[in-house]
Amino acid sequence: MNNHPDPLDRLIGNLPKEVAPPGNLWPRVAARLSRRPRQATPMALAAAIAVAAAGLASLFTWAVLEGRSVPRVIQTVAVTTSFEEPRDPKYVLARDAVEKTFRERLALLEPATRAKIEASLAVIQRAHEDIRKALAADPQSPALEQLWESTGRDEFDLYDSVVQATQPAMTRI
Amino acid sequence: MDSSSEPTDTIVAAAAGDVVAFERLYRQFSPRIYGLCLRLTGQREAAEDCTQESFVAAWRALARFERRSRFSTWLHRIAVHCVLSRRKGLRFAYEVSEPAMGLPERADPGSGAPPLDVERAIAALPEGARHVLVLVGIYGYSHAETAEVLGIAEGTCKAQLHRARQLLTAALGLETS
Repeated sequence: MNNHPDPLDRLIGNLPKEVAPPGNLWPRVAARLSRRPRQATPMALAAAIAVAAAGLASLFTWAVLEGRSVPRVIQTVAVTTSFEEPRDPKYVLARDAVEKTFRERLALLEPATRAKIEASLAVIQRAHEDIRKALAADPQSPALEQLWESTGRDEFDLYDSVVQATQPAMTRI
Repeated sequence: MDSSSEPTDTIVAAAAGDVVAFERLYRQFSPRIYGLCLRLTGQREAAEDCTQESFVAAWRALARFERRSRFSTWLHRIAVHCVLSRRKGLRFAYEVSEPAMGLPERADPGSGAPPLDVERAIAALPEGARHVLVLVGIYGYSHAETAEVLGIAEGTCKAQLHRARQLLTAALGLETS
């Protein structure tokens, strides 16, 4: 840059970067925030996952005792929940509990099968994390949002598959 | 506090769902976001809508904000996306409303009239040229950043800036240096 800037550069450079909105826009913004149950979402989600986990665990127990299979309609509870991944501690705890149950069932499988499932899970989780990072950089992308939710569901689908696969093994216990 | 400082604690609180903290962010950053939207759209009503949309979108995405970039940079990116999304959704209305600004294409060099207001002249630029001029010229984006956020080639970005400068120089009746 020289000492005698172009007159146009000088004009543009003198423009203020901040312009006060003509009115108070906050009430309209706030009204739309209140419609999104942001704080309730982790709680509701944690509750939904906890209920699903508890329901599945109860069904596993019932199925083991009765030698019956888990009704499909109830299994889908755990895999059809559209969700975000909030940092709410209760959500994290509930999520960990679901994963713990899955790990316990996974341990019932043959090592080779278990290795394949763990590899699949790693792929899904890596994809989920990659998409999360992309969303952090481009939070307005609907395509990324859909992919992120899709990989989240894929993870639950895998849990569901393992639940089904471990059913005969559990009945042999 | 000006919008150039990063209120880390407030950002963290807002990300955890604290609406009061988010309002503080809105108070701090809305003038800059409104200014950006106003320059990008060239229309007050559209700028108000885009400012609102930007903060609502920011609220929804804030839990995923990782602070690898500045909050203001991240918010700017959201605002630009909101403007571009609105333009796609309201293409016809957006394009037909521009002539209603009533701005002439250029100042009359022989009239002795004062130069046109630079803000109005920027608002009267063709959309592509205006977007590039606003981001590069006023808000200090690099050509690479501008090209990425607008979804255009860097060469196109440079060409649009050149075009914008030519049109503004003519419209404002400026001597080229």
